[in-house]
Amino acid sequence: MKKNKMIFFKFSKITILSIILFSVFSFGFAEKQETLKIALTGKYPPFSFYNQQGKLAGFDVDIAKEIANILHKDVEIITTEWDGIVAGLLTDKYDAIIGSMAVTPKRAEQVLFSSPYYISGAQLFVNRNSSIQDIKDCNQKNIGVVLGETYEQFLRKNHSKIRIITYKSSIDIFQDMENGRLDGFVTDRLVGAWQIKKANKSFIKKGKLLFKEKIAIPVKKSDGLLLSQINKALSQISLSGKKKQLYDKWFALNIEPEAINQKMDSKVVSQKLMKGFAITLFVAFFSLLIGFICALPLGVILHRNKGPLYLLVRSVVDFIRGTPVLIQLFFVYYGAPQFGFTFSPITSAIITLSVNSMAYLSEVIRSGLLSVNFGQFLGGRALGLSKFQVFRFIIWPQAFRVTIPPLMNSVVALTKDTAIISVISVGEVIREAQSIISYTFNPMKYYLIVAIMFFVVTFPLMKIASYVENKVKEKGFMHD
Amino acid sequence: MIDIKNISFKYTKGNQIFEDFSATIPKDSNYAILGESGSGKTTLLKCIGQFLKPQTGTINYNGKDIFKLTEQDYRKSIGIVFQHLFLFPHLTVLENLTLALVHVQRKNEKDAIEQSHHTLRKLGLHEIETSFPAQISGGQAQRVAVARALLLKPEYLLLDEPTSALDNNTMNMFAEWLQGLEKETNLIVVTHDQLFAQKVASAGIYLKNGQVCAEGKIDTIIQKANLQ
Repeated sequence: MKKNKMIFFKFSKITILSIILFSVFSFGFAEKQETLKIALTGKYPPFSFYNQQGKLAGFDVDIAKEIANILHKDVEIITTEWDGIVAGLLTDKYDAIIGSMAVTPKRAEQVLFSSPYYISGAQLFVNRNSSIQDIKDCNQKNIGVVLGETYEQFLRKNHSKIRIITYKSSIDIFQDMENGRLDGFVTDRLVGAWQIKKANKSFIKKGKLLFKEKIAIPVKKSDGLLLSQINKALSQISLSGKKKQLYDKWFALNIEPEAINQKMDSKVVSQKLMKGFAITLFVAFFSLLIGFICALPLGVILHRNKGPLYLLVRSVVDFIRGTPVLIQLFFVYYGAPQFGFTFSPITSAIITLSVNSMAYLSEVIRSGLLSVNFGQFLGGRALGLSKFQVFRFIIWPQAFRVTIPPLMNSVVALTKDTAIISVISVGEVIREAQSIISYTFNPMKYYLIVAIMFFVVTFPLMKIASYVENKVKEKGFMHD
Repeated sequence: MIDIKNISFKYTKGNQIFEDFSATIPKDSNYAILGESGSGKTTLLKCIGQFLKPQTGTINYNGKDIFKLTEQDYRKSIGIVFQHLFLFPHLTVLENLTLALVHVQRKNEKDAIEQSHHTLRKLGLHEIETSFPAQISGGQAQRVAVARALLLKPEYLLLDEPTSALDNNTMNMFAEWLQGLEKETNLIVVTHDQLFAQKVASAGIYLKNGQVCAEGKIDTIIQKANLQ
């Protein structure tokens, strides 16, 4: 019995240690005061991207720094996915977006736009040997656009016969252009030209600009004061000649030598990936730990299969299991602040994945308990053990052993699920990989490296699961 | 002495098992509850074991109503070995024995192991003490289950159909082995096996359809039941 006690003590030690570590980390990630917080994707070169040294760079980044400088504020740049970037602004995750956002009436309903800081336009690009001459030739053809950009709506409205395919980023579009899945793509004229040159692809512009766009800086509707400050700063940047300087720096393609170099320092790459993977494992570990601790009592309640508490737990678990984790994540990250709870991205990720793993693990525990013969309960009671003792020494140890293989599967699945948290700006490994790819234009290489990193961690877990499964079967308390 | 007075028992969704049933199980001799399957003998055993409560009537143990005794107190006096034994498969034979000594009787681990060793050696089971239940034979498992219950020194030890999983040869050996336990406890054996009952018990009761068909000396009741 000593062994059991020791395991119990170890378990509590781990729990306490985890809580301390967790608090320290959350504290570390908590937001600072008195800074101008700016959001951009970091995946939109030459406006925002990670350079050779793994640092954020680009036209938008420089504009952000200039504005903060003029306003005498520290600047904090938050990289986030494009599809959630406005939601993040509305829920106070940052003060403004300097992410090359085009002014549209629909967006203007939600936010206040500054005066434009540059003018761009939509351009069709195709393969060099393509027969397409103009957007009018694209009917029934596959044309790629980045999800959430204005080009998608424009094409749907004006060229409804085009088959529009949306992508997460232009990197993915390039990949599918080469794979032959796309006949062309529509993107920003400047961005397209810059990216094609840098990625050394043989895509070319075809036809005139589809439309012109005013690119401006959105703030919350309640932030009129900040808006006027930004407008003042923008006109100062323009008047002082700084804007022309930046324009020359980023769009006269041959001026910037590093832009032609597609290689990123391997030290920077490994640092970025290791840091990202550490965050991935950190989030996975704590989500699973918290999820497991919460799943224990829930599994027991589910196993009882009756009573109001059972019905409550059953509904919650079913709801969580029956809804996409991505939406749960958005609820926690963007929804909770509306009720007065604002969590950092990492904390939101851990909360969501903990709740999610709790739901799945409680089912695993329930089925583990179900696999233990009711006679074991009688057998224990006949010896005079209390109900709790029967659970602790007889039912649980057997259920737990049976539970280990499916538990490990859930651990593996959840570790992989952490990929999803990149959408709320958690710099986990896949997000880091994407930022490397946005610079190097080599998706297969870096996704393969990430896949191998995951495999190195999950493979031993799967091995442990099958080892335990065999041991459990040998001892004869698992029913085949 | 266990005194069963006018009990009636009916499962929530099922037949009436007993109606106004009475019997007395004396101390100081092994006792058999005989009967065909479906005659109510396992239900009776579960009532005596406090696992089922009759709707009416009383069961007194040494003059006290067992359903007014705390479970803890009652378990000290009455041991029970179920038909399917319910050995704990994740524990070794030795650990199956020490579990209740440590957690119910609050003995320290060293004493519990010492006492279990002693019992296993006395009952000829010491060779399998590090084995897990899945690794031992049916006859051995039967004896381990009895040993586990016996270790808590109950005044009565209830055995439910102990021969159901044993072949004839093993059954004979097991019966002899049980006879050797006479000083340790009083056995109450529920069985359909007349031969086994004759070997193990000196008195008993014969049930048919929830009714006492014969009560008294073992040889007499078997004769009487067979005539009917």
